[in-house]
Amino acid sequence: MNLVVIIILGLGLVFFAGGAVGILRFPDFYSRLHPAGKMDTLGSFLMLGALALYHLHPFTLDNVLVAIKIMLIVVFYFLASPTATHAIVDAGIRAGQSAWQKPKQGAGS
Amino acid sequence: MKALALAIVVLVGGLLVSATVDFPDWADPNSPASRHVSPRYIEKTMEETSVPNIVTAVLADYRGYDTMFETAVVFTAGVACFLLLRRREPRPGPSRVYRHRATGVIVEMNRVPDKEPSPDVFKRIDDDWTPHDLIVMNVCRLLIPFIQLFALYVIAHGHHSPGGGFQGGVILGASVILMALSWDLRTAMLRMKETATGLMSAMGVFIYAGVGALALALGGNFLDYAALSPLLRVDPVAARSLGIFFVEVGVGLAVMATMVLIYKNLASEGRLDQGL
Repeated sequence: MNLVVIIILGLGLVFFAGGAVGILRFPDFYSRLHPAGKMDTLGSFLMLGALALYHLHPFTLDNVLVAIKIMLIVVFYFLASPTATHAIVDAGIRAGQSAWQKPKQGAGS
Repeated sequence: MKALALAIVVLVGGLLVSATVDFPDWADPNSPASRHVSPRYIEKTMEETSVPNIVTAVLADYRGYDTMFETAVVFTAGVACFLLLRRREPRPGPSRVYRHRATGVIVEMNRVPDKEPSPDVFKRIDDDWTPHDLIVMNVCRLLIPFIQLFALYVIAHGHHSPGGGFQGGVILGASVILMALSWDLRTAMLRMKETATGLMSAMGVFIYAGVGALALALGGNFLDYAALSPLLRVDPVAARSLGIFFVEVGVGLAVMATMVLIYKNLASEGRLDQGL
């Protein structure tokens, strides 16, 4: 059981790390929101899911309740995080932020 | 005049800074607070108030005066924002903008219409921009009840876990502000009118002071909730626990209403007609 929890936590960490690298490496506002929204959502799902699983270990009512609460956090995160990303993109377009284009070949950097 | 004000500020600030030298060090075990007050709270809170969360007990019971005036400060801040920002005269420029609900066509009028069109057909929107995003609107509609439920939980559960009136009140206020952000100010104002925020803000302080005065009337000291025990038909220890809950409700009301009041006035330049 512990091994499964560790593997899932590690996977979540991979996604979080990918998200962090993506935020740093992507070229513009919109593409940076892509890792920020997606990777964080999946990463937190995996990590919180692992925590809920870990909490189930002595299978008592108290622990199950805690696990359910953790999974509720995941549900609200899944609702709120993509919506927030969507709203930020919307605001960016309204503010006139233009999307990044791939620079033409030979036109300098 | 400005030079005088600056001199006063520098003088008082200098005095305050010089006074901090005399403070006990951080976490000094020999400071008066750590030697006398803290052990008393840590040892006696459970048997005197039956509140496991010592912070809540200290905040609302042992130092009830402090918290009462903190609530009064929140209320005063709300009143100050209201007095400074609220403007009665309408916005300059008569243009009104409506969205036809069925087609989404935006209609802009150069004058204020004699008769307001039916809100079922034309929805009035802000003249600069109204958020009209199906995803954001509906997700917020879905989330707001849960946020409010959580806020009530935080207010009521301050005895046992981190939380209490201030935190829960802020969450409640944030839920109303979220509605104003995701829909628009008029929708939020339909749910919580200006008079409601003003009244609730004052009501919160009134509940707090009223519980204190009730204790006074029942023969205890001001804010001594143990005196409420004959009224609540519980023993004095449980009465103190319940008294803490009552004042937390007052704090929550005052904080929520003040948050919403300040937000509404700031967002609409004090006119409360449009804004995010």
